[in-house]
Amino acid sequence: MRRSGFVDAVGGLGRHDHVCWAFETPGEFRASAGRFLADGLAAGLRVLYLAEAARQTDLDHVGGFAAARATGAAQVQDLGIYDTGLQLDPAAQVRAYAQATEQALAAGYRGLRVAAEATPLVRTPAQLDAFTRYEHLVDRYMTAHPFSAMCGYHCGELSAAAIAELAGMHPVASRASAPLRLFASAEPGVGAALAGEIDVSGHALLRTALHRADPAPDGDELVIDARELAFIDHRGLFQLVEHARGRGARTVLHVARDSMVRLLADTLRLPDVRLVES
Amino acid sequence: MRSGPPAGHDGIYHETAFFGSDEEFLAVVVPFLRDGVAAGEPTVSLFGERHQGLVRSALGTGSGVVFIDGDRHYLRPAVAIKRHREMLGGYVAEGATQIRIAGDVPHPGVGVPWEWWARYEAAANTVYNEFPMYGLCPYDTRTAPAEVLDHARRTHAYVVMPDGRRERSPLYQDPRDFLATAVNSWEDPLEALPPAVELVDPVVRHARLAVAGLQDIAGLAVDDLNGLVLSTSEAVTNALLYGRAPVRVRAWAVPGRIVVTVTDSGPGPADPSSGLMPGSGPGGLGLWLAHQLCSYVSLRRAPDGFTIRLVGGEPTMDGQGWAPALGEP
Repeated sequence: MRRSGFVDAVGGLGRHDHVCWAFETPGEFRASAGRFLADGLAAGLRVLYLAEAARQTDLDHVGGFAAARATGAAQVQDLGIYDTGLQLDPAAQVRAYAQATEQALAAGYRGLRVAAEATPLVRTPAQLDAFTRYEHLVDRYMTAHPFSAMCGYHCGELSAAAIAELAGMHPVASRASAPLRLFASAEPGVGAALAGEIDVSGHALLRTALHRADPAPDGDELVIDARELAFIDHRGLFQLVEHARGRGARTVLHVARDSMVRLLADTLRLPDVRLVES
Repeated sequence: MRSGPPAGHDGIYHETAFFGSDEEFLAVVVPFLRDGVAAGEPTVSLFGERHQGLVRSALGTGSGVVFIDGDRHYLRPAVAIKRHREMLGGYVAEGATQIRIAGDVPHPGVGVPWEWWARYEAAANTVYNEFPMYGLCPYDTRTAPAEVLDHARRTHAYVVMPDGRRERSPLYQDPRDFLATAVNSWEDPLEALPPAVELVDPVVRHARLAVAGLQDIAGLAVDDLNGLVLSTSEAVTNALLYGRAPVRVRAWAVPGRIVVTVTDSGPGPADPSSGLMPGSGPGGLGLWLAHQLCSYVSLRRAPDGFTIRLVGGEPTMDGQGWAPALGEP
C-alpha cells in the first residue's frame, strides 16, 4: 500500500513511496535523507544519495551506511554528474531509474531507493516545467515497481510557488509545502489521485498540475481518485471537469460518502460528472 | 389556451389572497384547484400539513389534484425554485398549456424568518416567468405579521378578493425594486453574544477551519456541517474576489446550530435576486450553493458594507422571538 499525505518526518515509508521534502538547511536535508535511506537499507533496498558536491562520506554518520557503501548497497553521487544547465528529458530520466531499479533487483536487492537534493535541477522556469512533468512520470513508474524516492528542495533557494508546484506532484509531501497534491494511482483505470484542499489559493496550481500530469482518460471517462481530497470549491471542480472535457472525457470522481467533495458534486449535478462512493 | 384569469397572459400569473378562517381559505383555494382540473391542467396543492388536510377533506378522493408536502418543499427557497422549475419544465414538455400551483410560503407566523422567503416571493415573478404558471399564495391574516402581508401585496401582481374577484395589486413592485429596498435582514439572537470566531482578511482555508472547529460545540449532522463549511468558503472567496477589504468572518455556536457572518466593505452583489438561481453575475454560483446547503441564508446591504449570514443546523433559536406554529383553532 502506497502512502499519501502531508508528513512531518520521512520515516517508515515503503518500497513504492515518493516523498517531497522541502527543507530549510542542507544539514536538515542530510539528516532526513539519512533516515530515509537507513530505512531502505533495513528493508533490503539498494540506496542512492544524490546531492550537488556530495562527498562519499556525507552520510557515514548514519548507522550501517559506511559498511553498505563498502558492499555497494549504498552509493553516493555528486549531482554534478548531471549537466544541470541542460533541460531534463522526463521520459529518458524515468528510463534511467527503471534500469537502475532492474539492476538492483538483479543484484539481489528488493528494490531501489533514492534521496536526491534536486534544487539545482529546477532553477529556471523551463527546468521546473520539465522536472515537474518528470516527477509525475516517475511517480507512475513507482506505483508498479519497487522504486522509492525522496526529492529534496531548498526553501531558501526556490520560491514558495515553485516548491508548491514540485510538492504538488508527490503523494507524500512535507507539511505546508503545497495546498494540494496530484499523483499517480496504482488502481487500474484511475487517471490520477487528488488530495489536500483546493480553493482560490490553489486554482492556478491545480491548472498547472493537471496540464503537466495530463492524466489519461479510461475510454471516455477521466477517473480521479478524490477520496483524500478534503475540500474543493465549485471553481476548482469546474476546472477539473473542464480539463476532462478538453480530453473529450466525462469526469468520474471516487469520493468518500461524508466528504464535502461529494456534497458539492451532488448539489451541482453536472451532467458529465459521475460519483463513485466508497 | 390558459383557463381562468390568466387567459391570454404570458408567463407567471402570481396571485395572493388573505384569509382569516378555514372557510375563507377553502373558499379561495378549492375553486382554484377544481377549475384547473376541470380545464385539464396539471394542478398542484403544495400546502403544509394542516392546510393540506383541509384541502384533501374538501376535495375528497379522486380529485385529480396533485398533492406535494409543502413543509418539506418549502425548507429552502433556492431548493424550492429548482424543484419548481423541474416540475414546470416536465409538465410543459408533456404539453401543458398552464400549470396551477397553490401553496403557503413560510413566515414568522409559522416560526421561520421572513427574509429569504420575501426574496423568494419577489424572485418568483422572474424565475418562473418562462413557464405558463398560475400560482396562488394565500396568507393567513391571523398569523402572518403586518410586514409579511404588506410584502405579499408588493410581490404578487394580483390579489384575490373574498368574493372571488381578482384585482391588480396597486402595491405590486418590479422585483428588482422590491429586492433592492424592501427586504429587511434579520439578526440572529446569537449575534448579541461575543463571537466564538472573529477573523479579519483571512485566507479562505482558515475560515473553513475556524467554522469546522465549532462542531465540538454544535454537533451538527455531517452534511449540515459540510454544507456550512463549503458555503463559508464560497462566501469568503466571493468577498475576497468581488468585495472590498476588510473582510470579516464571525461565527457563533450553540448545541444544534452554528451562525456565520461574512462582511466586506463593498456594496454586495448587484443582482438583488442573487443566490436564488444558479449562476448569473460574479459570485452567483457560490451564493446559490450557500442557499442550497445552509438551513438559512440572509443578505444585508448597508452603507458600510455587505453581510451574508449563513446558518447551519437549526434555522432559528427556539423561543427566541419567532411565534409558535399555528395549532388547531
